[in-house]
Amino acid sequence: MRLSSTSDESLIRLISIRKSYDLGPVSVEILKDVNLTIQKGEMVSIVGASGCGKSTLMNILGVLDAPTSGRYLLEGQETSHLSDQVLSQIRNRRIGFVFQQFHLLPRLTAVENVQLPLVYRGVPEDQRVALAREMLARVHMSDREKHRPAELSGGQQQRIAIARAIVGRPSILLADEPTGSLDTAVGQDIMNLFLELNRAEAITTIVITHDPGIARRCARQVRMKNGAISGR
Amino acid sequence: MMIRENVKEAANSLLHSRQRTFLALLGIIIGIGSFIAMVSVGTIVRNESLSQFKELGTDILTVTKDIQPEPGRDQRRREVEEARFRLDDVLALPSQCPSIQDVAPTSAIYGTMTCEGKRFTSHGLGVTESFFRIFKVPVEDGRSISDLDAYMPFCVISHEKAEEIGSAGISSIVGKEVQFKERVFTVIGVLSEVPRSKMRPREINEGILVPLTTSLRFPLRPEIKTITARVAPESTNQAASEQLVQYFEKKNRTLMVRVQSAEDVMEKMEKQMRLFTLLLGAIGSIALVVGGVGVMNVMLVSVSERKREIGIRRALGAQQSDIQAQFLMESVMLSIVGGTAGMGVGLGAAYSICVFNQWEFFVSLLAVALGVGVSCAVGLFFGFYPARQASKLNPITALRTD
Repeated sequence: MRLSSTSDESLIRLISIRKSYDLGPVSVEILKDVNLTIQKGEMVSIVGASGCGKSTLMNILGVLDAPTSGRYLLEGQETSHLSDQVLSQIRNRRIGFVFQQFHLLPRLTAVENVQLPLVYRGVPEDQRVALAREMLARVHMSDREKHRPAELSGGQQQRIAIARAIVGRPSILLADEPTGSLDTAVGQDIMNLFLELNRAEAITTIVITHDPGIARRCARQVRMKNGAISGR
Repeated sequence: MMIRENVKEAANSLLHSRQRTFLALLGIIIGIGSFIAMVSVGTIVRNESLSQFKELGTDILTVTKDIQPEPGRDQRRREVEEARFRLDDVLALPSQCPSIQDVAPTSAIYGTMTCEGKRFTSHGLGVTESFFRIFKVPVEDGRSISDLDAYMPFCVISHEKAEEIGSAGISSIVGKEVQFKERVFTVIGVLSEVPRSKMRPREINEGILVPLTTSLRFPLRPEIKTITARVAPESTNQAASEQLVQYFEKKNRTLMVRVQSAEDVMEKMEKQMRLFTLLLGAIGSIALVVGGVGVMNVMLVSVSERKREIGIRRALGAQQSDIQAQFLMESVMLSIVGGTAGMGVGLGAAYSICVFNQWEFFVSLLAVALGVGVSCAVGLFFGFYPARQASKLNPITALRTD
């Protein structure tokens, strides 16, 4: 197999990605030969039943986890064998995460939560606050600036989490079951917000979901089954 | 770069789990507190005993008979024991030895003193006028013994004895007669209380003092036991000691003397005191380690409770070093706050110990510097392991914990 680097405009290229975990004597293969290319500005959903390996794929896409074999090119850059420090910087600058459980820090207010990625970038506080406020306005949460997560509804929390994900102007927004903890109407609101951001800011958005209804709202759908891509 | 954020975050987190923070603080306060108290007391005690020496001056020599015959000298022990200082030899010292300015020979006596039918046992000394000069003893009432009182049945008594007699119902002792050693003495004065010290005979504060010449005529022929000499200002202790040894060797071949300078005693004491301070410090350190382990425990709990937070931060771009710095800052802050409070507690304890013992209290810079340094070190040392554990967490596993 040819493993040369690519010179095209793809934002993400996954080439023969495999991921397996050693569980004592047996080795479980979660991802089997995943090949996937995503272009800049795309709105993609990765859909499949639970246990099909979508979360593992998302962890690899978000450089939280490394594949057992295969190559992951992010904006043309090979990501395997990078140090923790460089991977952390990639997560900080190029990737925005949105989780099913929102994962806001309970002790911090909305505006403080949104600032977090900028803290690790060394942005001075006044600039951080200004940017965070701007993002809160973008997700229509300006009036909840001083609220803590516990004082907000699920949909509101997810909006704050989205503001946090985009505050650093990442190239990719990775959403893992972003509507999984929300009721249908609120879930649709959140999807509308993703579509709006994708359209207005051209943020490449990858939504991982088990819900075909949510998946259908994305321009491109990637189906996964048993650790492999079964259709696109 | 991120120190400000880390400080803020650490304060926030510590304030959030108050009970845990309080318990960890308590451990550190007790640890640093006892450490500071121990070191302070050690330093104060040392200073106290040295100041007693300084008050008398270090140019003081004590001459006693050396009853351990030197090996090689075939004199019989008995002969050595029977050798005595002669009063005229001793009194001639300042004029014979240029390095000696003043001498105070003393004899030791013990007996029962009777006053108006009441009995008091008492240690006593036979002294000369120079005794009061060398040991700097002022009188509280009446007058002290003069060289003109030779052979006279006069005595001065210590402040403590005067109080003892006073509490037995006998007031204004000066001028009264007491019986001591089967003789009648007239009390001519009461001495002021002076600070106790290794160089000062304790009879000054506790006993009865009579003219040396009078004491030498007591039954059983008391002898001159100790000669205290003040070295002339232009000479050194070393030179004076040598002259003294030579002088007595010339006067009496069987008499061997031992000369001890205040400096020698001080040196010995200083060595003891250093050991003492070290010992106290060691005891304090144990408390400190216990406090430190408390911090470590609290930090480990904090790390395991905040696994998810660590995962979130890592996903948002925190590097391992950022996580480590965050938790390290928390434990350092804990120990600095605890250390500051502990320093107050420790100095307070040292102060009360000083008040109780009537020592002069001072804030030992050593103790304060140690307190600040040690609390930072405790925070870093005992916070390092938990912080490292936090930074090594796998972000994915950390994110999945509830």
